[in-house]
Amino acid sequence: MTVRRSDTGTVILDGVCAVEDAEPLLQMLQATPAAVVDWTQCRQLHTAVLQVIMASGVAPIGPCGDVWVKQWLAPELPQKEAGG
Amino acid sequence: MSALEEQFVTEARELIRQATDHLIALERDGTPERVDSVFRAFHTLKGSAGVVELPAMSIMLHAAEDLLDSVRHGSLGASAEIVDAALGCLDQVTRWVDDFEAAGALPSRAGEDGRAMAERLRSFLPGRTSEQSVLPAPNLLKEGGRGPLPEWVSRLIAAERDAMTSRMPDGPMVATAVSYEPLAGCFYNGDDPLQLMQQLPDLLAFHIEPREPFVPLAEIDPYACNLRLRAISAANRDEIASIFRLVPDQIQIISIPPEALPAAEKLIAPGDQSLVRKVIEAQCELLRVPGRTDGLTGCVGAAARVAENALRHGRHLHLADTVGRAGALALAQHDAGPLLSALERTLAAFASSLSTMVPDGDGRPSTTVTSERPTDRVLRVSEAKIEALVNLAGELVVARNALSYSTRQVDLGREVARSIQRDRDAIDRLVTELHGTVLQLRMVPVAQLFGSFPRLVRDVARQLHKKVALVTHGETAEVDKTIMDRLFEPMVHLVRNAVDHGVEDPEQRRAAGKSEAATISIAATRSGDRLLVEVTDDGRGIDPAVVRRMASEKLILSPDELTALTDEEVVDLVFAAGFSTASSVSDISGRGIGMDVVRTAIEQIGGRVSLESKVGIGTTVRLDLPTTIAMSRIMVVEAGGQSFGIAMDSVSETVRVTPERVSTFKNNDGFVLRDRIVPIISLAELMKLPVHKRDTAQSRLLVVMETAGRSAAFEIDAIRDRLDVVLKPMQGLLAGARGYAGTTLLGNGQVLLVLDVKEILP
Repeated sequence: MTVRRSDTGTVILDGVCAVEDAEPLLQMLQATPAAVVDWTQCRQLHTAVLQVIMASGVAPIGPCGDVWVKQWLAPELPQKEAGG
Repeated sequence: MSALEEQFVTEARELIRQATDHLIALERDGTPERVDSVFRAFHTLKGSAGVVELPAMSIMLHAAEDLLDSVRHGSLGASAEIVDAALGCLDQVTRWVDDFEAAGALPSRAGEDGRAMAERLRSFLPGRTSEQSVLPAPNLLKEGGRGPLPEWVSRLIAAERDAMTSRMPDGPMVATAVSYEPLAGCFYNGDDPLQLMQQLPDLLAFHIEPREPFVPLAEIDPYACNLRLRAISAANRDEIASIFRLVPDQIQIISIPPEALPAAEKLIAPGDQSLVRKVIEAQCELLRVPGRTDGLTGCVGAAARVAENALRHGRHLHLADTVGRAGALALAQHDAGPLLSALERTLAAFASSLSTMVPDGDGRPSTTVTSERPTDRVLRVSEAKIEALVNLAGELVVARNALSYSTRQVDLGREVARSIQRDRDAIDRLVTELHGTVLQLRMVPVAQLFGSFPRLVRDVARQLHKKVALVTHGETAEVDKTIMDRLFEPMVHLVRNAVDHGVEDPEQRRAAGKSEAATISIAATRSGDRLLVEVTDDGRGIDPAVVRRMASEKLILSPDELTALTDEEVVDLVFAAGFSTASSVSDISGRGIGMDVVRTAIEQIGGRVSLESKVGIGTTVRLDLPTTIAMSRIMVVEAGGQSFGIAMDSVSETVRVTPERVSTFKNNDGFVLRDRIVPIISLAELMKLPVHKRDTAQSRLLVVMETAGRSAAFEIDAIRDRLDVVLKPMQGLLAGARGYAGTTLLGNGQVLLVLDVKEILP
């Protein structure tokens, strides 16, 4: 699964997160709005998935694994340092 | 064709090759990495098509990309039909790239073809109706005028000032802003706005925001896009328009004048910049000198180098590259024009940017000046240039031979003779080395040849409902380009044959206790100056009994002759003209080309073909090829109404002698050339051809030859031509004929006999 929940409840984005990952991600965030989102493993982020992250206001654990997103988008979004 | 377009042609071909390889492999292994590779190749290809503005190609590749994206995301499987369609799309691209290279444009029906192919590709997509695939024409892009900048552009520049400054290594030149508001339903169309933004070259600034404030999480629709994406790029508006050509109704493009851009920090002082400008101005003046023709090449080359270096020194790396390319173009066209206009444009751009380049007061060096890209260690050189070099080196060899001859004629003191001898030996060695090295330039790895076979094997096997795996070995072995080009057709024929005739149907293979999938291997090995290529299949093999029957049916040999042959000799008969072992002519191999054509083609390049086959085990066809093609430079002369070739390396000169210079010694004519008596031999007489009665008052045309320490002159009627040819050894009836070095085919189809001078001189 590209979007999954770890044992500790962290929502993990892994690999190529495609458009259809937006819905499961949204459902997880609706269920636990305070969940930690980890996108360090995400190689490619679809706009729809990013939109869910933006709309939920969560600050993902960075840096984002998608290098383009890391360079151009991360500075615009609230974000936590990895391990922080 | 511009440098950019030439680059596109080269790159596109490389990308097509990659995409084809990956597609064929995808069918076999279907790993996610493979899907990614295919997708990337198509994606890059689409990007390049956009850069040179070929909308038909872009539209088609966009559809292919969508299709592959669905495969990538698992909503579609990589079925053989989808791979077929994608390969068909690549075939169309290949044809268009050829057209584009030849005519600088796509054929007039490209739009229709592209749309039809896009339809076909999209028909595989789940839940797509055809009307969704009708794409808007890409000419609806909003034009950004030269008026005041929209507020959002100024705001973006202000917000990103620092970041932009650090990302503009060459100072502000061209910049374009784009605002993209994707439709709410864009995700359903397969759009990924972020992906599009990622295609923007030379990105300087980026911002993303919700169009409407986000609603609470509980009410949000994850598939309704509510975003606005804005960016500033150092690319020009055309490049950007081509990236967004499929969403023209959703974007706004604004060209930003350089004065609106933030100043770039520079490592070097403004004084240096004006120096750079002066250097370029000086080059312009130099190039403007009217009526210059002699020494133009040197002048253009020097000016381009000086200007380029000055720009590099001033850290205007893009401009330096542009000037370098313009210089190369000017050199190729023998016209200073392209370079001059590039330099003038540079000065103009330079002037406008210089005025805004006010360095910070503290003058601290910028740490973000990008270093130049590491240079590619492989040079792409056009084939024509290499050809020219090969020809020059060949002529140098001829000139060296003439020099060797002349130096022997001159009677000098021993000391001088020895010194000349020594120098000549040095030149000899260098010329030989140069010639050898230049010929090495033409050596290419056979990988280029082998690359086309996976596709061929796949298509043929699929058509025949057979299962075949192709294995290749020794792709790095190198061979002369000409040989490789001439090897292509025979190899295609051999590989087709192997799939069509060699490999059995899956049922037959199962019945024979073999695995359903056959293996065809193509292996190349270099052995000294020969290249061995083997095409092996593990199919049914060739049955000598069948060949015997066919040969007698087709009257290729008499029954007695056939009985006398061993099984191996019988199998070799498949190379006989008019022989085909297939009982039915299929459209795969039966195109009127038999194995005899393969043998002829291979022998023409100085190679040999042999075949080994075991019934039920398989067949191996072995090609033994030269690695370099032996080109001979010959002179075509006419004597007794017939043409002959004489190898140039035995000709030392051609002279016309007046009758009074000719004397007769013991019934033989001769003349004195540099204190030596050279016998005159009538070539027509020697070849037993009718000799025309000569007007005794007329001068005689002679070709003076030097071979094995003797010299002689052939009297001829005319000199026709000087040619580089591939000599074919004498074959068939002529195999025993003496006095000929071989034959060659002239451009008009005439067979030219090339004389073996050493042998025919009496």
